[in-house]
Amino acid sequence: MSGKRHFTILAGLVSLALVAALVAGCGRTPAAGTGKVLKVGIIDAYSGPASSYAKDALDGFKLGVNEVAANGGPKIDFVTRDDQFNAAKDLSWAKELVMQEHVDVVAGLMNSAGALAVASYADQQKVPFITWESMSAQITGSHGGKYVFAMPPNTTMIGNADAKEMAGLPYTRYWLAGDDYDYGHSVVNSFWAALQKDKPGVQKLGTSWWPVGETNYTPYLNVIRAAKPDVLFAGTGGADMVSFLKAVQASGLNKQMAVLDHTATDPSTLKALGADAPVGVYGTSDYLSYYPATNANKDFVAAFKKAYGHGPGFPALYGYLTARFLGAAVQKAGGVNKTKLAEALSGMTIDSPVGPVTIRAGDHQLETPMFFGRTAVQAGRTTLVMKNPVEIPAAQIMPSLASVLASRKK
Amino acid sequence: MHLTLLASQFLIGLSVGMTLFVVAAGLTLIFGVLRVINFAHGSLYMLGAFLAYSVASFLGPAGFWPAMLIAPLVVALVSLGIERGLLRFIYDREHLIQILVTYGLVLVFSDLVQIVWGTGFKSLAPPPGLAGYVTVWGAALPRYNLFLFAVGILVAVGLALFLYRTRMGKICRATATDREMVDVLGVRSSRVFAAVFVLGGWLAGLGGALVAPTVSITPGMDVTIIIEAFLVVVIGGLGNVWGALVSSLILGAGESLGVLFLPRLAVAWPFFIAAVILIIKPSGLLKSVW
Repeated sequence: MSGKRHFTILAGLVSLALVAALVAGCGRTPAAGTGKVLKVGIIDAYSGPASSYAKDALDGFKLGVNEVAANGGPKIDFVTRDDQFNAAKDLSWAKELVMQEHVDVVAGLMNSAGALAVASYADQQKVPFITWESMSAQITGSHGGKYVFAMPPNTTMIGNADAKEMAGLPYTRYWLAGDDYDYGHSVVNSFWAALQKDKPGVQKLGTSWWPVGETNYTPYLNVIRAAKPDVLFAGTGGADMVSFLKAVQASGLNKQMAVLDHTATDPSTLKALGADAPVGVYGTSDYLSYYPATNANKDFVAAFKKAYGHGPGFPALYGYLTARFLGAAVQKAGGVNKTKLAEALSGMTIDSPVGPVTIRAGDHQLETPMFFGRTAVQAGRTTLVMKNPVEIPAAQIMPSLASVLASRKK
Repeated sequence: MHLTLLASQFLIGLSVGMTLFVVAAGLTLIFGVLRVINFAHGSLYMLGAFLAYSVASFLGPAGFWPAMLIAPLVVALVSLGIERGLLRFIYDREHLIQILVTYGLVLVFSDLVQIVWGTGFKSLAPPPGLAGYVTVWGAALPRYNLFLFAVGILVAVGLALFLYRTRMGKICRATATDREMVDVLGVRSSRVFAAVFVLGGWLAGLGGALVAPTVSITPGMDVTIIIEAFLVVVIGGLGNVWGALVSSLILGAGESLGVLFLPRLAVAWPFFIAAVILIIKPSGLLKSVW
């Protein structure tokens, strides 16, 4: 009697537990039926000088996550960690996310130094890591590996793209300048190496290196102006770009020589400057919301505007692509096994607002196009735009796989 | 090397130094009279820039001059709140507590600015009369830099009149030299402290508003300026306003000439100059009030 009662209670408990497990399981079962939700741990600079990029990228990522789910793809959960643009915090956040939050993928990382540390750690722990903002060529270069992926064009690609376009223009005398840290030096060096190959006989008149966060560029521009080069090539980025272009405008440098800087034509920079932006400055952009004028791009911009009330910048595109790639990878891998996810991502191609993009199988660098042009006033707009953008296909700017793999051996 | 390039580079350097002086003068004044190491000074500078941006955008094309007037005044009001609400309770505590409190303010203002103004880049255009450049000795000197130079001189003259011609100024100098004696003489130092902190805050706000048309207005500009402002204060002699003027000009001109002669070391120039001066005169260029 008592034995039977015990059995009944036990059976009841077991069935209760089963029901609970089923209910919980149902909640976590995504539409694709892969059995588990993908959990992404995001580390980025949500406060500090680079926070506008971080926010833009996260907005893009969220849009991608919703789109993947709406199209019957897997559910993607995410947690964010703020590194305050401080590289020292990135590795500890990565460890916390992997060991305590048990994330399946680590993403984000604007800070290049932090991205390199996290790349090495993730590869060692066999956790896929995708950077959507850092442009250091070392991420897929010397720090690359099976589990490391990079979305934005890296400094080598930026240099290649700028050199390719400048080689076709009648300039020969160059002054090279930039931020005195990894980004500035990498962009300038790769530009100069590529330009010397594309156009033998170019002349370097001098170099200037200014600190990140420089507030007064006038002393540098005065020296450069006196040397009378044909072109000033500058490797400056982020918020400093606004200060730099203001100094160019205030000193009329753009009327005395050609000025070229990677993000000079970026909408976030030009929007801030308004009518105070210098006209005729050359620049390359990773992404423009108004070009290419394809349906895919228009749909993306419209969806982004509907969700956030303003247009997407380049970080938004790479945050968005990260979500789309991850959604496709979970479906291809049939689950969230980290090794299978990494293998699924390698060599994967998806359609994107800038046309089909591929994660190159050899080094996991995204093959994505860039856009080149000059700043110009456009009737009906309060801010300058990139006039007549030229699309540079990914094939023309990707570093050779041999050189990337050689850098990993060192 | 052309002599004209040298001269124009020197002139540009002086104009850079003058802007630095406006901010550092407030910091060193507070340092000297209140003996508080005010880390939040950079935050007040940042607040000045953001407020100038908002006022100017709100008022439209003619908004620049009102912005230069209103933004520093609002920052001065905020400073009054900080002094009466927080700092006056910790004047007698050790420096570590003061540093912790003012550093806490840095974090608060940093988040506050992001909440109010968002994270996008912001920029304020100089007024039409001050846009563009004039050619001096073959160099293109932005008009706005010349304007900053003139304002710096005005601030220096104004501070001199305040410190040497007014009763409050005299009390300030006396407090900086011997606080106990001033207390014994029956001066209510609490009021003096509040006034000096408000004046210092106003100068920080003015510096931020003035510099707004030449830079990108972003959260983070507080950190950049506070390091340089502290350098100026230390090189000039703690609490000495004239020391701050001299060291601002030396730093500005030194950095500018450094860019010309040894461009590779541009990042290190301010610290290099500071180190050399402090090795020769460890207490700073002019007499420290401490």
